[in-house]
Formats: sequence, C-alpha cells, structure tokens
Amino acid sequence: MELFLNILGAIATVILAFIVGMSYGGIVRKITARVQNRKGPPWYQNFIDAYKLYSKTTAIHHGWMHRMGPAFLMVSSVVTLMFVPVLNNGGWFENMNFQGDLIFLLYIMVFGSLGMALGAGQTGNPNSAIGVTRGLSQMVGFEIPWVMALVAMMIQYKTTSITGFIEVQQESGTWLMFSSPFAFIAAVLAMLGMFRYSPFDIVGAPSELASGPVSENGGKYLFTMMSSGSIFTFAKLTLYVDLFMGGANNLLVLLIKTFALYMVPVLYGLVSPRYRTEQAVRYFWGWPLFFGLLAIIYAVIF
Amino acid sequence: MSYDKDSHKIFDFIQNWARKHSIWVLAYGTGCGAIEIPPTMTSRYDAERLGVRGAATPRQADVLLITGYLTTKTLKRVIRVYEQMQDPKYVIGFGSCTINGGMYYDSYNTIKVLDKYLPVDVYINGCMPRPEAVLAGFAKLQQLIAEGKANGAQKYKENLEWYRENQKRISPHWVMPEYNW
Amino acid sequence: MNTIILIFIIFLAGAILTFLASNIKGLLKEVLFLASVIVPVVMFFTGVKAGDSFNFHLAGFAFQWEITPLGYLFALIVTGLGVMAAIYAVSAMQKTKNLGLFYFNFILSIMSMLGILFSRDLVSFFIFWEIMTWSSYLMVVYQGKDVQKVGIKYFIFSAIGAYAMLMAIVMVYSLTGSMMIDKMIQSYAGFAFNMQIIIPILFLIGFGVKSAMMPLHVWAPGAYSHSPMAFTSLFSGALSKMGIYGMVIVMAGMIAYFPEGHWFRIVIAWLGGITAVGGTLWAIAQDDAKKLLAYSSVAQLGYIIVGVGIGTPLAMLAALFMAVMHALFKGTLFMAVGAIEKQTGTSNFTEVTGLIRKMPLTFLASLMGIIALAGIPPLGGFVGKWMLYESLIGSDHYLLVIVIFFSSTAAFLYCYKFLFGFFLGQEEKEWEHVKEAPVLMVIPMIILAGGTFLLGTFPGLVIKPISAGLEQLGYAATQGKYWEMSMLFNEWGDQVVLEPILYAIIAVFAFFLVFLLIKNHKNTRYVSTKDISTSGEVPKEHENLTFIQNFFQPFLRAVEPLMKRQIDFYYNGFGKGIEALFDFTRRIYTGNGQTYALYAIIFVVIFLLLKTTLFGI
Repeated sequence: MELFLNILGAIATVILAFIVGMSYGGIVRKITARVQNRKGPPWYQNFIDAYKLYSKTTAIHHGWMHRMGPAFLMVSSVVTLMFVPVLNNGGWFENMNFQGDLIFLLYIMVFGSLGMALGAGQTGNPNSAIGVTRGLSQMVGFEIPWVMALVAMMIQYKTTSITGFIEVQQESGTWLMFSSPFAFIAAVLAMLGMFRYSPFDIVGAPSELASGPVSENGGKYLFTMMSSGSIFTFAKLTLYVDLFMGGANNLLVLLIKTFALYMVPVLYGLVSPRYRTEQAVRYFWGWPLFFGLLAIIYAVIF
Repeated sequence: MSYDKDSHKIFDFIQNWARKHSIWVLAYGTGCGAIEIPPTMTSRYDAERLGVRGAATPRQADVLLITGYLTTKTLKRVIRVYEQMQDPKYVIGFGSCTINGGMYYDSYNTIKVLDKYLPVDVYINGCMPRPEAVLAGFAKLQQLIAEGKANGAQKYKENLEWYRENQKRISPHWVMPEYNW
Repeated sequence: MNTIILIFIIFLAGAILTFLASNIKGLLKEVLFLASVIVPVVMFFTGVKAGDSFNFHLAGFAFQWEITPLGYLFALIVTGLGVMAAIYAVSAMQKTKNLGLFYFNFILSIMSMLGILFSRDLVSFFIFWEIMTWSSYLMVVYQGKDVQKVGIKYFIFSAIGAYAMLMAIVMVYSLTGSMMIDKMIQSYAGFAFNMQIIIPILFLIGFGVKSAMMPLHVWAPGAYSHSPMAFTSLFSGALSKMGIYGMVIVMAGMIAYFPEGHWFRIVIAWLGGITAVGGTLWAIAQDDAKKLLAYSSVAQLGYIIVGVGIGTPLAMLAALFMAVMHALFKGTLFMAVGAIEKQTGTSNFTEVTGLIRKMPLTFLASLMGIIALAGIPPLGGFVGKWMLYESLIGSDHYLLVIVIFFSSTAAFLYCYKFLFGFFLGQEEKEWEHVKEAPVLMVIPMIILAGGTFLLGTFPGLVIKPISAGLEQLGYAATQGKYWEMSMLFNEWGDQVVLEPILYAIIAVFAFFLVFLLIKNHKNTRYVSTKDISTSGEVPKEHENLTFIQNFFQPFLRAVEPLMKRQIDFYYNGFGKGIEALFDFTRRIYTGNGQTYALYAIIFVVIFLLLKTTLFGI
C-alpha cells in the first residue's frame, strides 16, 4: 500500500513538473516575443506543440539506440526529479529525497545526455554528432564552476544531501545565497550553460546544425524529448531553489522562486549572440572558475 | 455505434485544433519568395502568435513552404524533403510561380505547375505575396486542417504513380529511394 | 601436499606443456592452455582460504607464502579476469603464429601475479615481480611492431622500477636483517628519518612504473596498444593492479603512522590527480581505440592512486573498489576492441563506422563497460567514484576533488568517442560483411560487463573482501559506517541507497521505452542511415557523412595550453642530454698516445699541487 502511494506521489510530481516546465517554456516564448516587440504565442503554446507532436501518425527510426535515446533522456529527468525535494516538508512530493545525495545527482543528470547522444549518433546525421560533441564539451566547461560551488557549500556545512542544505537554511533562517554568496554566483554562472540559452545554445544551433542532436527526431520522439526537457528544467530549478533560496513551503512560493531564478539565463540569453564552442568552454574557466575558487576559500576560512 | 463515432469526432476535433495551432514550417527557400519569410516571422507581422514557427529539419516539420519558382534541379531535393516529412504534412505553394509558372511561364528550367509534382494544400497568390497574404494563406491552411480537408499527403499516397511519372519526366536520371509510406 | 604450492606447480607445468604442444595440430594446445589456467583457479577458489600459508627454506633464505585478505582480494581480480581473458584468448588468437609463446607467457604472467600476491617475503616477491615483467615484456613485443620504440621503452622503465625496488629491498635487509614483509612493516617506525623517506620512495618508483603513475607512465600507451588485445585486457586490468597492491602495502602498511594530510600522502595523491587529468586529455585526442583505452587506463589508475594516497578508510575503499571495477570494465573494453579488430582488421575510429547492427552483443558489452567507466549510475563505476569524491571532500582535499571531477567529466568525451567511433554513425558498404565476434569472445565480455552491473547495485559483494583486506592493514571495520550491501555512506552520514535507484531507473526506462515502441507501432519504420535530412540531397553509397575527423577539436582547442608538451618530450630531452654527456666523455678517449700522456701529466700536476690540502702530506 505504501509503495502504491509512493508511486502515486511520484506520478503526481512528474505531472506537476511537466505542467510547470511546459508553462515556463511557453512563458519564456512570450517574454522573448515581447522583448523583440512581438505579440508572441499564448503561454500554453508549448502544450499545443507537444500534443501536435504526440499526434503525428508516422515515425522513422535508424535502429534500436535511436529508439531508446528519448527513454534514456526521460530516465535522467524523472530520476533527478525524484531526488530533488520539491517542498520543504515533503508531503506528497517526498519521493526518494533521502536516498541519494548531490554527487549522485550530478551523475544521474548526465545519464540522459549520454543516452540521448548515443541515439543521436546512430542516426548517422553528421549534424547530430557535431551537436553532441559541442554539448559534451560545453558540459565539461560548466560542470567545473558548478562542482566548485557545490564543494564549497559541502565543506562549509558538512553535508552533501539536499535535505541537509534545506535544514541548514531553516535552522539559520538565512538563504545560502546570502551566507555563501560566491558559491551562488558561481552556480548561477554555471546555470547559464546548463540551460543552454544564448550565448550557450551551441548544441541546438538551428541555423548551422539544423537543431543538432534532435535533427532526425520527430513526432513521438520529439514529444518525449520535449516533455523530458520540461521536467528537467523544473527539477534543476527546484534544485537551485532548494540549495540556495531556502526551498519552498508551498507550491506558490516554489513557483515564484523558480520563475525568478529561471529569468536569469532567459534574460541573459535574450540579449546575447552565440559563442563558439571553445569560447563557451573557456568562458566557464574564466570568471565562474574564479568565483568558484573564491567560494572555496570563503568556505575554508569561515 | 453512433456514440463511438461521435467520440471519435471529438478526438479528431481536439487533434485538429492542436495541429491547426501548431504549424512548424520548413521554409525551403527555393526562389525569390524566401525574402518574404523573415518579415512574416519577425516583429511586424509575427506569425508565431498563430502558432507558426520554423522547423530545422523535415523530420520535425509539418508544412513545406515552396517559396516561388522551383527549378528542375531543385525539384528532386524538394521531393526528397517532402518524403522525409512525417504525417500529417502539408504543402503551401507560395507565389504565382508555383501556380502557373508566373513570370517564368516560358522558362526552360523551372517547373510550371507545382501541383503536378507535389500535392499542394494551399496556394498563396502574388508576385511577391506580401506578409499579409502569407498570413492569410496560413489562416486558410488552419481552416482546412480544422475541417479535416487538408489531406494532400493522402492524395499523394493514393496517386503516387501519377506523381512519380510527372516527377521522373522532369528529372529523367532518377536515383532516389522509393517512397515507402 | 599444500594447495598453494600445487597451484604454482600446475601453472608452471601447464605453461611448459602448452609450449611443447604448440606445434601439435588439433585442439590439444588450447585444451592444455585452458586447463592450466582454469584448474589452478578452481583449486584456488575451492582449496584455499585467507590465512593459509606455506613455508620453506632455500639457499639460506626463508620463503613464506601466505594468503592474506588483501592478497585474496587482488587474487580475485587476477583469477577472475585471467580465466575470462584465457577463454577469450583461445578464440581471439586463432591462426596466429608462435601461439606457444603466447600461451606460455600468458600462464606465466597469471602465475607470477598470484605469486606476488601470496609472497610474504621480499625475495620471492621480487622474483615473481621479475617473472611478471619479463612475461609481459615478451607479450608487448609479441606482434613484432615497433619493438624498438615501444618494447625498449617498457623494458627501460620496468628495469628502472625493478632496480629501485631491489635497492629498497637491500636497504631493508641491511637495516632489519630479515626479508619478511611483516618484519619490514613492523620495524619501519624505528628507521632513521632519511631511510623512512627513501625506502618508500624507492618502492613507490617500482610500483609506480607498473601502475603507470605520472611521470612514469610513458611506457603504458604504447605497451597496452601493442600487446595482443587478449593479453591487454589482463595487462591493463590485472597486471597494473600489482603496482596498486604494492602501493597499498607501502602507503597503508609502512607509513601508516603518517597522519592523513601528511605532505608525503598529498604528493602521491596529487601525482595521481595529474595522472588522471593528463591521461584523460590525451585519451580524448586519440583516434585509435587501443591508444584511447590505454590512456584511459592511465587516467583510471590515477584515480586509484589518489585514493591510496589519501589513505582515509573511505578513500582506501574507493581505491580498491575502483581497482576491481577497472579490471572488469577495462577488461571488457579491451576485449571489445580485440573483437572489432579481429572482425574488421582495424581499430581506428576514422576507418570503422556503424557496427552497431552488425555486432550488437559487442556493442552491448562496450556500452556497459563505458557506462561503468564514465561512472554513471546504476553501474558499478559510480560506486567507486562516489566514494572517492566523498572521501576527498570529507578529508579536506578541495582542489584535488575539482581536478578529479574535471578529469572524470572530460572522460565522457572519450567515452562517447569510443562508442560513436566504432558502433554509431553511418553504416558503410565496406563493413557490410562484418559479423558478430565468435561466441567464445562474446561470452567473457558479457560476463565481465554483467559484473559491473551487479556491483553497481550490490557493491557490498566486493566491498566485504576489501574491508577484510583493510582490517588486515590495521584499519577499523567499515561495514555499517561506510557501506552496507547496497548502501553507501559518507563521513557525515549522507547516504546513497542503490537498490531503489536501480528499480526506479528500470521502471522509468521501461515505461517510456514501451511508450516509444507501442505508439504508432505500425507506422514506425526503419530507415537506413543514408536516409537522413541533408537538405534533400541523397548521399551516394560510397559517400560517408560520419563526423569523426577532429572529433573534439573545439574542446581540444580550449584545453590547448594543458597539452602543449607530453612528458615524452622531457624524457627525450633528458635522454639527449645524457647522450651528449657520453659523447663528450667519449671524446676524452681520442686513441692518441700523446693525449693520454698529457692527461697523465695534468693529473700528476694537479695531484702535486693539491696534495697538501687533500691528503695532508
């Protein structure tokens, strides 16, 4: 019975993440349009797109790995979501919060991209492979400041679990973005790469790579990827909120905090052109790395 | 029995509504008409508010936009792209050239009537059609989709031999994989 | 008769018999070979347990062979991988010339490794070490390619390591008057300070060569890629672990009283870290699968050295667990490369593409090996990585953990390159004839890959003997504190529960896979890799659009400053310097009698001038 309830809770979490992630995607399109002085699509446009992709009647595949790719991607997003505490007091969304820690999360977050990359590789489309190499290179770039921020916080608060960080913030009453500011800065700069908005949209790059790894996917595959992307966006934002902004006690607070945080990469992306790959990689080894080092020094001293 | 039929209709209605409001366009810039696409998409006319947005590859696209004249050399590529698209898919013929050859009516190296080679769902008249006309064309396509009448792909499948014959007449050294849907 | 000595006798007799039978037609030599590997291993598993010993005297030295818990752990690696590699080798080495020599060396190297693990006195330790070096050297030059460059390099470095070790052994003997390892460890604390430093360093040079520690690693890429792949899986998987075994004894046994965070430990750990980064970056730049895996082995051993260097209980657990995992997945991957090389005739990514549909089982094994290598859950590599990070963070090595993390994130790049280069990309007509490797080659791969899968969820199976081995070295019991059968803990009590993770991953994966398969099942078709969206163009049959040349060029451009120089450069410089010195020395001997007379006069003059100051006459 308990297992049944747990599964039900997990499904509820996934549906919540799907809805929120999709809506955020739509709102971002709206904001982008407003910034470009357009009217823009309605906020629910992404739902329509997803349903349209779902209702495509034919599909092609280039082999088993290609068919499995989106499933790998989904594993990564859903399992990440399971380990991120959605609300501070757990409740319906407790899932598997206590069974893994940050380092596990870092690795499971990569699982999907590697599986997806294999799927993209099997299509034989050169654009896909180029996109994958770009994505992996960029990942090596932004993971370094991101890990530095996390390590700094781990040694400062002597915990590696996300619930542990939430407890730290509840006990002290301050958000970690104020009590370890450099780690927050490094993590937010890493986030720019993580969300792949401009200037780090080098993976998809519609004009030169024809959307890169997804270029051979349509219909149900693209639908799964789109859903996975939405869930992953929500999971990552919630992770950031849990780590740096004190978590959330109810859904409304969570939505406000995640949305505010989401605006950082989105708005930065709106006014940026695109980097070349090596520029993107090197960007993360400049100021973000510096702030990461600062965070570690700060954590060691205090 | 009638209940089943009705529910099917409701299902179709939702599906068509989604398809109608989410049109991903593969703008295959074959001719001079491609110059009208940027103003249609950008802030002045903003086609995205109707759910029209660009797609990068044929696998993701719903609509193939043939912008203007189509040379005999390009035809093969366009057919290839069309055949790689996933159902349901639509074709919009853009500009007079796709209807009757337009100003290239007597040219030796363009095709005159696009409908003989690809099943065109909507024609947009004009040389060039202004963005308003393009939007009107999309609106017409949306209307057809909603009514379930935009079934060019079906027509193509049924009359494949006829289309193939016409296509092969234009490019006699046909070395393309067969259409397998 | 004692089982231990029986095992060695069977190994030795089997090696000689196989060698003698090598010219007889039929399957006799294969049967003999397999028997002489499998029979002693079966005897080892059934007739021997930790604590058994065998003593004898020979030529005035006392020899003591004993199975310690730590030795037992490494013996598991050697025997397990040894049997798998032997089965693989029978099929892989068919129709090669000089097969007797291969089998002979193969058996000898397994025997010598077990000998190293069992010997408790330094004499037999050194003898077995030399047998191991020689048999592996003969394997490196077995195929006869680049013997000058690769073979000599391996030989020189092995010799340097062996002499350093011999020197240390002689020092120990002169200080303690005994050759026993236990005695050495016990009396170590009483040595003078300079001896306390020099002896471990000399030992570590010896072990560092075998485990390819920076800067002694330069032999590894060449040697790994030049020996037959059937042996390389053992070479990289088990033989290099002997260096780790020695390091564990030195770092955890001898200098155990060096506190954690002592500079000596930090130096070793940083050497490991640099090895890991360098190995990873160079692996990314390789176009040949063997070279790529060889550099990756160097990097992976770097992680293990970091763990051994840090020396906290969790770090030691991590290092030894990674040693086991490395044996499993690197064994798998080298075998996979061997299979591909056998079926296609090349191991270069730029030549072979799109094998996934032709060699699906090899792909499956490689995929699991790669996931384990990359350290992605739910496979076993993750467990080792997790423990290593937690131990580094918990023991205040903040920068080292970043370095390790950089290296293991960058490892994804070459992981993908390996899978993409061989199996994915466009399928070519040239490779249409390729078939799956023979059953005997596939089975060992799948079994080893399955091992990584099992250990990913139930790491306790292997951590238990590791923990026993560490208790022998004086560590406290770790079960319940750092690990359970399928749970891991760090110093602060944070946990990872592996079993539900596996079930969650499987459930989600299965659900969406079924969704993707069932949805529009009838209207989903397979299309070839030529049917891709390339702006309407149809690639011709001979046109291969696979993107594999300069695969990670942008990334390599970004890390260019780190890769300007290989260590080889400095060794070559050193070699040239020495050569120049000798050249100069040679010039003294002109062969001219008058010059020699001049030397004699100069010597006498100097002697006369300085005699008062020198000799006080």
